[in-house]
Amino acid sequence: MSGLDDDYPLNEQESDPVEPDNEEEEEEVQTERKVKSRGSIYDALDGEEDEDEEEEDEEEEEDHRGRKRAKHRHKRPAVNRFLDVEAEVDTEEEEEEEEEEAGGDEFIADTGLDDYDMNRRAAVNARLDRERELDDQDLAKIAQNLHERYGRATVRYTGDMNEVPQRLLMPSVHDASLWQIRVKPGREKDIVFSLMRKAIDLEYTAQPLQILSAFQRDSLPGMVYVEARSAQQVNQACKGLVGVYPSRGISLVPIEEMASLLQIKKQDLTVTPGSWVRIKRGKYQGDLAQVMDITENGEDVGLKFIPRIDLNPRDDAGVDGRKRKKAATGASNMRPPQRFFNYEEVVKVYGRKQVSKRNQVYVFQNDTYKDGFIEKDFKLSALQLDNVNPTLDEITRFTRGQDGAEGEHTVDLSIIAEASRKAAIAVLQPGDHVEVFEGEQSGVHGVVDSINQDVVTITAVGVDIDGQKVDVPARSVRKRFKPGDHVKVMTGQNADETGLVVSVSDNVVTFVSDMTMQEVSVFSKDLREAAEVGTGTNIVGNYELHDLVQLDSQTVGVIFKTERDSFRVIDQNGQVRLVQPHQISMRRDSNRAIATDSEGHELRVNDNVREIEGECRKGRVLHIHQSFFAFLHNRDVAENGGVFVTRCRSLASLAPKGNIVKPGTDLTKMNPHMTGGAPTGGMVGSAMTRGPRDRDIGATVAIVQGPQKGYIGIIRDTNGPSARVELHIGNKVVTIDKKKLRRKLQDGSLVPLDRPYNPNFVNQGQPRAPARTPNPYPQANGGRTPGWGGGRTPNPYASGDGKTPAWNAGSRTPNPHAADGGKTPAWNAASRTPNPYADGGKTPAWNASSRTPNPYSSNDGGSAWSPNDGSRTPRPSWGGGWNNSDGWGNASPARPAETESWAAPTPLAAPTPGFFSAQTPGAGWTSAPTPAPTGIAGSERHITGVHSAPTPAILGMDDDDPTPMWLLDPDIRNKRVIIEITGTLGGWRGGELDGAQGYVGTVFQSANDTLVTFNHLDPSRAGTNVQVPINYLSPIHPSETGEHAIPLDGTHKGHEVILRKQVSDGVWEVSKPSDFALVTCLKEKMVKLYVGS
Amino acid sequence: MATIPSQTKSKHLRACLLCSIIQHPMDFRKNGCPNCEEIMQMKGSPDRISACTTTYFDGIIAVIDPESSWVARWQRTAKYVRGMYAVRVKGRVPEDVETELENRGIKYRPRDQTDQD
Repeated sequence: MSGLDDDYPLNEQESDPVEPDNEEEEEEVQTERKVKSRGSIYDALDGEEDEDEEEEDEEEEEDHRGRKRAKHRHKRPAVNRFLDVEAEVDTEEEEEEEEEEAGGDEFIADTGLDDYDMNRRAAVNARLDRERELDDQDLAKIAQNLHERYGRATVRYTGDMNEVPQRLLMPSVHDASLWQIRVKPGREKDIVFSLMRKAIDLEYTAQPLQILSAFQRDSLPGMVYVEARSAQQVNQACKGLVGVYPSRGISLVPIEEMASLLQIKKQDLTVTPGSWVRIKRGKYQGDLAQVMDITENGEDVGLKFIPRIDLNPRDDAGVDGRKRKKAATGASNMRPPQRFFNYEEVVKVYGRKQVSKRNQVYVFQNDTYKDGFIEKDFKLSALQLDNVNPTLDEITRFTRGQDGAEGEHTVDLSIIAEASRKAAIAVLQPGDHVEVFEGEQSGVHGVVDSINQDVVTITAVGVDIDGQKVDVPARSVRKRFKPGDHVKVMTGQNADETGLVVSVSDNVVTFVSDMTMQEVSVFSKDLREAAEVGTGTNIVGNYELHDLVQLDSQTVGVIFKTERDSFRVIDQNGQVRLVQPHQISMRRDSNRAIATDSEGHELRVNDNVREIEGECRKGRVLHIHQSFFAFLHNRDVAENGGVFVTRCRSLASLAPKGNIVKPGTDLTKMNPHMTGGAPTGGMVGSAMTRGPRDRDIGATVAIVQGPQKGYIGIIRDTNGPSARVELHIGNKVVTIDKKKLRRKLQDGSLVPLDRPYNPNFVNQGQPRAPARTPNPYPQANGGRTPGWGGGRTPNPYASGDGKTPAWNAGSRTPNPHAADGGKTPAWNAASRTPNPYADGGKTPAWNASSRTPNPYSSNDGGSAWSPNDGSRTPRPSWGGGWNNSDGWGNASPARPAETESWAAPTPLAAPTPGFFSAQTPGAGWTSAPTPAPTGIAGSERHITGVHSAPTPAILGMDDDDPTPMWLLDPDIRNKRVIIEITGTLGGWRGGELDGAQGYVGTVFQSANDTLVTFNHLDPSRAGTNVQVPINYLSPIHPSETGEHAIPLDGTHKGHEVILRKQVSDGVWEVSKPSDFALVTCLKEKMVKLYVGS
Repeated sequence: MATIPSQTKSKHLRACLLCSIIQHPMDFRKNGCPNCEEIMQMKGSPDRISACTTTYFDGIIAVIDPESSWVARWQRTAKYVRGMYAVRVKGRVPEDVETELENRGIKYRPRDQTDQD
């Protein structure tokens, strides 16, 4: 028994062996009490512990309880009630048991069967005495006794250190120092505990630890501080401890920092009932919850939130534990949605037994539900207290409650305000209009002057304290808006929306959005006064308002409204779609798109048009799609942001343009004959067929910048500013900025992509005859000459029966213009339309060698151009000759056969006697061997083969192109040259004006016609003008000294000259009006100039 | 001398709101608070224990020699028994204790470092 005493040397009760009987009685009562309350103790204390531990504890408890009771009851009447207790003492640690044991001690000391009865009797007597005594004693005395007995264990609490101000406790030099030791992070607490135990263990050894204290702070991981007089003592204390790194240094904490180490304070987060928190973990992670109550020590928080009950439990029949566990994990995989508790629903799924009802509260699966909410206690540490930021949605949902019909105005604004106060401090800025809504200054409003942490200084605006500066806590003010303010949302779901405030209700401001025209309610803390109107939101991603975007392969649409991260798009069928930026495959460019309107006029982007049918809406063309759909925009149209779609064919231009080419368009660019040597004529057609395809596609380019610099490739595709280039090397397609590309010409030179470029241009140097270009004006002259291939071009002007293509001289096609229609233009039979200007001297044959017969180099004096002889026919000029020399006719059949030879001969070598017989001075041919003004012909002459039938020259009076295209020459255009209307007999205007003379006004050109404004010279019609197709015009050549003229050729081309002196027939010396430098000029190369006013 | 908890996990430990000593709840139940049991009356009463102690504390001090330790003095635990103490304890003692302290003319200093002077 003495051994037992040794086991409990510290037990103070041990030393009280005197009153075993009393003791026992008391004990009995106490134990019973304890047993009863035990269950709840453990519930409360161990609620936080792991299950295992709990189980263990409970087991232990069961043990205690069961054993104690059973033994007491069982043994007491038989022998002595102390015996059993004694036997159990080993496992008992509780004081009361020790008391009993103490009592037992005495009893066991005199064991003996002889004495047993006597002893027992005495004990019973003693107990009875005691009981009687107890009855007599008043309860106060019992209490007194108890207090005396147990009070001994406790020192009266005096709190004697509490009066000393903290600052007087600052460390002094006499105090021991603090040493910082590095430890393994996470082991700090263990190490502090270890140090404590070590200190106790070694306390009475030869080498006790000499440290005074040790501590750690949660906010200083990896550190432990030890209070000791020297580092050596610290080192000694740490020796042998795992996780301590004394080798990393034991550093002294400066004396002034010692106090701070103990003053470190984590951000204090407090919760008050009503405030909002979020749940950190578990099924309700992230859910908003409202604090209902807080336990006194601030650990547990009663929360109310919307439950997530799984109404589709996967395994409700699960019986054995494993299965249930499985079901539980399955449920955690899929989180049930937030839903208010509904008794009927839950009962339906889980059965009536699972849910019990008490008053207004349902209990289901150990959780209580009230008004649809779940009410549950959480540890403070399991809650997120800061940055809760409840959204208005969540709060409304909360306050709306279960039935959802409680009305939206039951929002408890104080709660919201509480939640948003913290944020409100952060969003306040000097200059904000605020009002004080609580406290002394409640109701005051003013402008924020300055903010100093939690105190806002405002300049009051109002009745009596106007202008005064008032300090108020930031949490007591809120931003103030009044209806009519223009505001912008700074944060949250509606960020960047702007609008006009329509109503203010405490903390909630409702405004009409500028963009959606819908009412939006937000907290005033999220608002700011702003002048701008929803700017920056017209662009979402890469797309902008009114862009034409490709939605799918069949659908394009125009963005008519941009929202926060989506668009409203009207497609070509007029349907409105809500489209996210990623649903748009690309932006289309319709800048160059052209369509035809109902009147056949050209329709372009930005034209103002109106519908000719239906609603007759007007609008500006935003985009044209496939030349069929037009997207129009009109601000007056309310729907779809004023954008609507129509068919181009149902539109009419508001400002009729006719076919007039817009000013500023350079006609010469459109006229293949005018583009000086670079015949783009062929391009006209091809450009048309290309449509909107980017011209750069297919171009060979060199990359001049970036990592691929120097590579050469071919543009495969373009999209806006970037191009996809297939590199020659590696067969790789890269996307690259167009700016980094240069077009690579065949000669190796690089030109920027955006420079106008004609792919055929590279052929310029080649011998290919531009002349082969199909005549772009086919209508004007009755078709293309099919070369030498025997194609007999019908004389376009032939209105007669003839057009004999044959060589048969006998069947002479009557020349339509000829009075004596009998003479077939024999050479024409070789496919040449008779050159209307060609005089007798120039057989069409010569054209074949590319030498354009100079239409003006007539060899028979001015007579050829005499108004009356239909000079466009070969007849008047040389017809006689031909007719006379039948030899030509006979010889002619041979001509086509020897076509090869046509190429080579120069005119001089030409065996055309008629030609030479013409008085064309040799100089005329030699000095100006080529009539072509472009100078190409010179080189071509030798190369051009037999096929080179058409003349390349601008002035090319191709025999099948008799029109005076030189009028379009920029040098000559708009000069007032005198012309004559010819060839209209039986044709244009019935020949009414045939032979009339006039001067050229303007020349304009369209796709199929070139019209010349013809100003009459005839006194009877003077001052009037008429539009004459160019092919009915012939030039009037100057014929007398002193006449003004414009040379069509040579150095003075296009400049006004004055005829000074006739050198010979058809050859004049001319000079500019300003000087007298004479130049010889052929008469046919000059056109008389109108010098009148 | 207070009982030194064998477990160091702070969630199994509770700190006295008045004297900041850290013990296992079992120890509080068995022995009460070694320093202020007289006024806290925690022994054997789980309700009192949960009201007068908390798990919400920060920093653990091993006070080995309270009389001469500056740390203990700063923490105002120099007169208390040796043992583990918390640096900072969140919460206030129950109102009855506070009233009792007032009656005795003892200044109550919450251990949450809210009032420093």
